[in-house]
Amino acid sequence: MSAVLASPDTATADGATWRVAGQVRWRLWEDEAAVYSGRTGDTHHLADLAAWVFGFLCRGPASATGLARAAETSVELRSGEAPGAAIGRTLALLGRLNLIEKTRPEQGR
Amino acid sequence: MSAETVYLRLGPFTAALTTPFTDVVEELKRLYPASFFQPRAEFADFHVALLPGKGMHRHLRKQARFLIDGQEHFKPLPADQALALIEWGLNYAIAGLAHHYLIVHAAAVEKNGRVAILPGSPGAGKSTLTAGLIHRGWRLLSDELALIRRHDGKVVPLARPVNLKNQSIDLMRRFAPTAVFSAPAYDTVKGTVALMRAPEESLARIDEAASPGWIVFPQWRQGDPARLERFSRPAGLVEIAHNAMNYSLHGEDGFELLAGIFAKSGCYRFSYGDLNEAASAMNALAAA
Repeated sequence: MSAVLASPDTATADGATWRVAGQVRWRLWEDEAAVYSGRTGDTHHLADLAAWVFGFLCRGPASATGLARAAETSVELRSGEAPGAAIGRTLALLGRLNLIEKTRPEQGR
Repeated sequence: MSAETVYLRLGPFTAALTTPFTDVVEELKRLYPASFFQPRAEFADFHVALLPGKGMHRHLRKQARFLIDGQEHFKPLPADQALALIEWGLNYAIAGLAHHYLIVHAAAVEKNGRVAILPGSPGAGKSTLTAGLIHRGWRLLSDELALIRRHDGKVVPLARPVNLKNQSIDLMRRFAPTAVFSAPAYDTVKGTVALMRAPEESLARIDEAASPGWIVFPQWRQGDPARLERFSRPAGLVEIAHNAMNYSLHGEDGFELLAGIFAKSGCYRFSYGDLNEAASAMNALAAA
């Protein structure tokens, strides 16, 4: 189990393509998500940008750049924060939780 | 001391209890209805025993040991805490063995056909709230372990005596003066504890499972007005999973079970400082 995930704190957008890692179960309620990872057996609560990024990747793999572009029109970011940096930090944190993983270039879209 | 075996119904389970402590059996018979006892049974889910202490300690102070399937999982306790030891031991047996249910460390009470699941960490006021509600029109399903049936998400009644601690005991004696209480056991690891018999209607409806309608996280705070606040379902799901005794064992099925319950239930934080106010607030929730 993890605590609420709303404020990722490190990482960069490096152009890699990301996808959901392994089998997951999830529900989205009011812009927050509960996610079960079959890979780790952990259940997580994702809020704000983390929930949005995870939901986006559940529809298919995406690059950080693609996510940042989509985020500009779809999600409210912290004031003054560049979408690329916020997405990069969020991807890194979701990756550390084993909810998402980088794909090899030929596997991405 | 010669031991006798009684078969005690615990909701969907039967426990075979063997003990020479006849006074404890008599106390159990005040706390459970006669229909829950059988002199013999073809099958028992749990074989437990309450036995006298052994070794040098028994000469200093009379002790009681609790065994599950012949195994001693707890340190012996003073014999005057034997009743509490049985209840805690039975909880331990259910939580450790009944994995065909998702077992949440939570109380569960029902009104108008819907169940309020009340998870709570120790000291949150879960048992006190439960004890109050079942004397204001709610049916007791459980005060400690909510048994969630895997195939339909319904909560299955246990309707065992409510565990009360410290100030809650006198509070409930005033709140429900006709209720049946055990003698208090003093100086336990939880302080002073006493058991309160479930109301007769709860005991009579022991076979009626019901679907969850609300997940309510209670928190008692002295002087607080009763206040229900909407709470994030994903946060509530993670918290209740954390309070489940065997969530990890059920894997993704456990998640799906909880997700289904949260999808159909209101999720709230509930702070209260007065039982009458709390009951009014919960009754209003059930009537809405």
